[in-house]
Amino acid sequence: MSGLRNGMPPLLEVKDLSVSFGEFAAVKNVSFALRPGEILGIVGESGSGKSVTCRAVMRLLAAAARAEGSVTLEGRDLLALGEDELCAIRGRDIGMIFQNPASHLDPLRRIGEQVAAPMIRHLGITRREGLKRAVALLDDVGIREPEKRARSYPHEFSGGMKQRAMIAAAIGCRPKLLIADEPTTALDVTVQARILHLLRDLNRRTGLAMILISHDLGVVADICSQVVVMRNGEVVEQGPIDDVINRPRHPYTKLLIESQPGRKTYGTADGPDGGKPLLSVEKLSVSFSTGGGLLGGLGGGGAFKALDGIDLEIGAGETVGIVGESGSGKSTLARSIIRLNTPGGGAIRLDGQDIGALSGDALTAFRRRVQMVFQNPYDSLNPRLTIGEAVAEPIWRHGLADRKTAQKEAEALLEMVELPASLYDRKPRQLSGGQCQRVGLARALSLKPQLLIADEITSALDVTTQAQILELLVRLQRERSLTLIYISHDLSVVSSLCQRVYVFKAGRVVEQGVAQQVLSRPQHPYTQALVGSLARLPAHTGTISQPV
Amino acid sequence: MPLLQLLVRRLLQLIGVLAGISLVTFLLVHMAPGDPARLLAGERASAETVAAIRSQYGLDLPLWRQFLTYLANLLSGDIGLSLRFQRPVIQLIEQFMWPTLFLTAYVLCLAIPPTVALAILGARRPGGIADQIIRLVGIAGLTIPVFWLGIMMSRFFGVSLGWFPVSGYGVGFTGHLHHLFLPAVSTAIWLVPVLTQSLRAALIEKTAADFVTAARAQGATERQIFWQTMLPNAVLPTLNLLGVMVAFMIGGAVIVETVYAVPGLGTLMVNALLGRDYYVVQGLTLVFAVSTVLITLTVDLLTAFIDPRVRL
Repeated sequence: MSGLRNGMPPLLEVKDLSVSFGEFAAVKNVSFALRPGEILGIVGESGSGKSVTCRAVMRLLAAAARAEGSVTLEGRDLLALGEDELCAIRGRDIGMIFQNPASHLDPLRRIGEQVAAPMIRHLGITRREGLKRAVALLDDVGIREPEKRARSYPHEFSGGMKQRAMIAAAIGCRPKLLIADEPTTALDVTVQARILHLLRDLNRRTGLAMILISHDLGVVADICSQVVVMRNGEVVEQGPIDDVINRPRHPYTKLLIESQPGRKTYGTADGPDGGKPLLSVEKLSVSFSTGGGLLGGLGGGGAFKALDGIDLEIGAGETVGIVGESGSGKSTLARSIIRLNTPGGGAIRLDGQDIGALSGDALTAFRRRVQMVFQNPYDSLNPRLTIGEAVAEPIWRHGLADRKTAQKEAEALLEMVELPASLYDRKPRQLSGGQCQRVGLARALSLKPQLLIADEITSALDVTTQAQILELLVRLQRERSLTLIYISHDLSVVSSLCQRVYVFKAGRVVEQGVAQQVLSRPQHPYTQALVGSLARLPAHTGTISQPV
Repeated sequence: MPLLQLLVRRLLQLIGVLAGISLVTFLLVHMAPGDPARLLAGERASAETVAAIRSQYGLDLPLWRQFLTYLANLLSGDIGLSLRFQRPVIQLIEQFMWPTLFLTAYVLCLAIPPTVALAILGARRPGGIADQIIRLVGIAGLTIPVFWLGIMMSRFFGVSLGWFPVSGYGVGFTGHLHHLFLPAVSTAIWLVPVLTQSLRAALIEKTAADFVTAARAQGATERQIFWQTMLPNAVLPTLNLLGVMVAFMIGGAVIVETVYAVPGLGTLMVNALLGRDYYVVQGLTLVFAVSTVLITLTVDLLTAFIDPRVRL
């Protein structure tokens, strides 16, 4: 790639691009250039304007948006083109893939037809020829049995396969440029690694230039040669990827790099006390029936085993990570521990007592001892309560204090999670995601639990916010001597936070052990794949286990 | 073939539903006030005559045996005898069914094209002038009672202008078309706004759908996007609503048929109710229930044909 870089005119040149929605300026004077065969990364957090920039390039913004500046593709200003000329360029010269492949495929049309559609449209080939080429393209992007799969509908594809199909549709007309807007964010980490590999491979084989938009600096560092860092609609830094990562000039870029999971170890509290475990799970199995309703299950049905004979032990004061991809059963475990799912077999014991047998006062006491924080910070808070009320509610509901005292305690708790008192009367939707997650933490801690379960609590948050929440979590854990179960799909977060990890796959524990060992010397092939899939920054600091 | 599997599954479900319907219609007559034997025998019959009729019709048997007899009769196509007309109910229904079916099909032909056109016009610029006018006129159409509109239209177009007949069914296809025009229009005036609102809302929702953005990014023109992507995805909720409406029209054409004196099922129902012709009421209830089930089935199959996700 670097050989192509010098002396060639840029393929795409964006100059002083500004986009505004009414009064709000989403993108301010953004400029960058892309040469043929190059992969350019645009990094930034949500709201930084990175997606808006690329949609402005494709002229895909809503009618209410106003774009100024110039976007030149091989000498033609895209912002000045008419609708007909635009349609001739979109999908022909510039292909685009999106964050959520599931919602970007038409649910009613077969995959083959959707892959063929741009070729039939732009290349003037027959439907038959288009479908034939679509099958070849599906084969190219690594879909097995492409002929059979071309006749499938999107809902019959997995997330990774859908993204491959999107890529096939985008490259069918051999475009000069592919814009990939967060192409792997909705996918599991091993799938992400394979999609990134596919994109890099396409770039090498066909010289396809790409713009890769991502919130994840690790992903960008993995395949891009140039990077643009955006914040609040402005470019804060740009340059070759190695320079930006190893010698960041702007403070925000430095913060972004420091916040990368795995760059930092949070130094957890004291190790386990030894002695009897606080929580033990023995041969736990949970099944969900998959059959339809009345008379609906004639064609089969049966049960899906979400958890299949899980054994684990957690000592008091320990921080234990549970890692796995979506569908591996890790959330089912969390929900079983707080008795939201009924186990089909096995037992969960807290201090030796089977929690399934609890009822009445003992159950209420158990609920106080075990609390959970959920993935989506907005959905897990009642939108009609102010955050003060939300945190106070469990206290008076459990009869630990009257409402007035509970309000006071709530204020203290919010202060403890570093939320300013001025936010006390706000409703959840008036807060940012990170602030909401702090409220979720405060609420879970209001009952002074012994065991806190954190289920993907940072996966909906930006990476810098994630780092702050993790720091807060570690501080709280140390101050309150909490036992913590941290559930995540992100092995690097877990290993930087936890002492021990359990790796889940398809409802079973495939590997367990001390966090750093599992990460540096994974035994099970699945864990090895997981570790290998980590999109990390080129670590000039040595191995990931080294604290910064 | 998932589509075939769905069909078989739905037909199996249908058996259960039909059994339920037959039980309900059977109990309907038993719960109706009055003794059917006395009704058959007439007001002034002696106690012996009533008892004789009771045993002749099997009304003295236990309820479950009566039900079995009723089921057996149903299966052989016998749903009783009209007390008033002294003719098998099935013949009556057959005779009165065609005007109602013709009217329903007529209403659909009159209602669907303007629905699609108006919904597209409204959804093209939500909140624009066209959208506002369509909505206001639609609300007006919804709020005008069908019987009032029927009377007004038959007075104006029928009596004053003499363009259309104000009653009856006519002879031959064109005669039917001519006679049923006013009833069909007055029903369509109420149906179009309902369907338009539904389709317009679905279209607007799909305008912002991700796959529409993706199609645009692949270079599809706005026309292609609309016809190939948006409309097929938006039509499903309206299709389901239409199914409910058609079932409602077959069973509920009472007002329109009475106002315009159309000899259809609604008219038959009203007369049977007024004349306490219980077996006709029972037969009609059965027909309405079965037609509702069949229409729902048709809509479900159509939905499955359009949307592969439903075929699971």
